[in-house]
Amino acid sequence: MKDDRGPWYLLTGLILGLVFGLLYSWIISPVRYVDTEPASLRADFREQYRALIAAAFLSNGDLQRAKARLALLADPDIAKTIAIQAQLAQDRAGPDSEKNGLGLLAAALNPGSSPPKPALLPSSTPTAEPTSTLTPTPVVALNGEASPTPTSGTPKATRTPAPTSTPLPSRTPTPTQGAPFILLEQSVVCDPSIKQPLIQVEALDSAIQPVPGVEVIIVTDQGEDHFFTGLKQEIGLGYADYTMQPGLRYLLRLADGGDPIPELAAQECEAEDGSRYWGSLKLVFIQP
Amino acid sequence: MRRWGLFFIVMAIGAAAGMYFGWVENPVKYVDTAPDSLRMDYKTDYVLMVAEAYRVENNLSLAARRLALLGTDTPEVTVSQALEFARQIDYNDNDILLIQSLAEGLKTWNPSLEVPPP
Repeated sequence: MKDDRGPWYLLTGLILGLVFGLLYSWIISPVRYVDTEPASLRADFREQYRALIAAAFLSNGDLQRAKARLALLADPDIAKTIAIQAQLAQDRAGPDSEKNGLGLLAAALNPGSSPPKPALLPSSTPTAEPTSTLTPTPVVALNGEASPTPTSGTPKATRTPAPTSTPLPSRTPTPTQGAPFILLEQSVVCDPSIKQPLIQVEALDSAIQPVPGVEVIIVTDQGEDHFFTGLKQEIGLGYADYTMQPGLRYLLRLADGGDPIPELAAQECEAEDGSRYWGSLKLVFIQP
Repeated sequence: MRRWGLFFIVMAIGAAAGMYFGWVENPVKYVDTAPDSLRMDYKTDYVLMVAEAYRVENNLSLAARRLALLGTDTPEVTVSQALEFARQIDYNDNDILLIQSLAEGLKTWNPSLEVPPP
């Protein structure tokens, strides 16, 4: 008996096979990503991952290591992402170490900005230990992907030890030894809650850690004033401020050297209702 | 018989094509993974970050909560696995000491004594 049904049965077989193959590969035995990378993490886990990177950065002060870890997340604009997360963290419940770490990391990644006011850390927080001497360097795994494994590498310069933050009432501020500070940022702060215009000084060391005990000198036509960072620990260990008189011009310099900052004066700001008030100046200094 | 033979051969070709498409060309994409699926070297670096943070926070409960994201093992087991891997791939001594310090702390940690966060 001759079978003249043609070759359509072959197409049927092919389609059935395709359906079976897709069923098997997508549903019965899909590709299992057991060795995933941080870049594939869900958004909330990525946020926690960044916060942990920041907390670790607060501990080791190793910006290169923090950058290498952040790169694993493959965020398109990591500096902006960290800055936003740092701002959001200030208003959320969470460990102070993460808030402070995010603030410092944001400042380090956005050199033109100042970090959010850090919350106070437990007394044991800033450590005077040197940073770990190695930076995570990607190594090529068997599958050709990069991994974040910290490996033995060239030792880095030891970080300037940060002073302890133990809040002792009788503590005499002691400056961190190191290179003279340079002006990192100068900006006008328009904050109606600040009743009198201030010169706000923030001193950071090379590891973006706040530095207490830095002597600040203000010179006016009427004389000279000296004050130190770290005396308002509720605001920040590296913070100090000075009340300006509108209309007066000030010259500010740090006692350990560096260029003086002349012609500082209270700036006018405009409130939402159109009224005007005196704004403050914020100067962020950093040790290179 | 020959007809059935061809039928099954073509079906096998189709299945192979389907699996190639499903596994290679267009595999299932896991874009929202959890930290427990991370590769071991990433997990180890994660544990190192927890250890670095623990150094300044001195908060075992917080460290344990972070470690819990890495899987269902106890924090102590997670850290000991990371410590072993860190030694295998030659983490530097400082980092190994940090992980060791966390592991030592977790040995004495009793979650039942923790005060739940408000």
